Amino acid sequence: MLDNLNQDVSILQPSLQMTDSQVQNRIRQMKMEDPEEQTCYQKFCNLFTIEYYREYFDVTTELVISKVVNSFNPFSGTFFDIGGGIPELYGPFWILNTLIFTVALSVNISKYMQLQPGEHFEYQFQIVPFLAIFMYLKTLIVPMIYRVALKCVSQDRLTLLHCFTIYGYSAVVMIPVSLLNSIPNPAIQWMLLVYVLFAQTSFLTSNFNQELKYMPKEKKYMIVGLVAVVQITIMILYKFYFFSSINYQQLGLVKRKSHNHILSHILGAN
Amino acid sequence: MEYSNQRPPQNYSQMDDQKTLDLEESVSETIMRDLRMIAFKLKYVLIPKEQEDNGKELRNWDLWGPLIFCLVLAMTLSFKAESTTTSTKSDVFAIIFVLIWVGAFIVTLNAQLLGGKVSFFQSVCLLGYCVFPINIEAIIIAFFGSYLPFVVKLIPVLLCFAWSAYSSVGFMASLVPPHKKKLAVYPVFLFYLFLSWFSLIV
Repeated sequence: MLDNLNQDVSILQPSLQMTDSQVQNRIRQMKMEDPEEQTCYQKFCNLFTIEYYREYFDVTTELVISKVVNSFNPFSGTFFDIGGGIPELYGPFWILNTLIFTVALSVNISKYMQLQPGEHFEYQFQIVPFLAIFMYLKTLIVPMIYRVALKCVSQDRLTLLHCFTIYGYSAVVMIPVSLLNSIPNPAIQWMLLVYVLFAQTSFLTSNFNQELKYMPKEKKYMIVGLVAVVQITIMILYKFYFFSSINYQQLGLVKRKSHNHILSHILGAN
Repeated sequence: MEYSNQRPPQNYSQMDDQKTLDLEESVSETIMRDLRMIAFKLKYVLIPKEQEDNGKELRNWDLWGPLIFCLVLAMTLSFKAESTTTSTKSDVFAIIFVLIWVGAFIVTLNAQLLGGKVSFFQSVCLLGYCVFPINIEAIIIAFFGSYLPFVVKLIPVLLCFAWSAYSSVGFMASLVPPHKKKLAVYPVFLFYLFLSWFSLIV
């Protein structure tokens, strides 16, 4: 029965093959769909067992590393070909946590580097819970938006978990960028923002493009446009909450046209 | 405080004898017994040479040790923290406490999801005991931090972080299949890095 299952799937969807644990899960589900065999616990509480989620953590070190390296390349569009296009949650989850750590680190470093000569360093811990909530919400909601959009154009090969996977891995670019973001120079910060926006959006669109190649043009552009717009919104929110509040308020300035003052403060302080 | 002597009746079994003896001993003796057990486990976990049986001792997990180290760390850091406009001492205490327990929970869950077959509390116990070096460096920095330049402060931080990570990595890596070892070890590394950075920055 196992062989037939794999063969059927591979005929229909050549790039989406199932791993062993996925096959086990399917068999378990098929067994459980027989109403006599199902206990009440199995019917409702399957979501709370660890075995339910184990299939999404079925990865090896090389697979994760190759996916991370691939996400730095915005134009290749080969993300779903790595490892057979199986969705996984290990990568997105730990990339998210690393990102929270590096952004908290760089916010504090940025504050430290803007210290005036007589001032005492005030670290910011309040930002950690808020940052965590922002990042987790973003990673939960945006793939759902993508999935809804894909459903609207009746593209069913990419499930919600595929969207979670690819969105999680697209955040890898932000890790080195957020470390560099601690430099208090506004020009560098804007350049990094533009770079990360460009890299993430083109990574996502080129990968979605691979799956959407056979669709009519309007639908394709709709999806791609949606991806870009959502990314831009999030980046702008991120930049203006976490980094601009340090740049301007710390130096006692609130208005944007005081760029010259900021530069002279920084240069003068050195 | 001594419990008054209550001789058990003659027909009690051997096990009940043992239990009533435990109740009869003085509180200081009970506490010393627990402290000796914590010290023994600590030496076992942190000094790799003591481990001759590949971590079998950890089957007798207990959460007293992790709780004590977590509380000491949280109290040290919040004692050292000055109240600023954006965070107070109680914020620091709360963040450290939640971070240690939730972090240990998540790291253990990750190891289990990757296919490791270990009891949940065994792993939380180990991660909690390995917080001890971070405790040491937090106390060093709390007392001597204001007299030392930043670069000198980094040395104990890095050493203690390496010590914590090294002690827990051996156990964690043995839980999962070989091609997933680095995946199980990376969250441990991130967890202790986060804690060390907290103790450095406060």
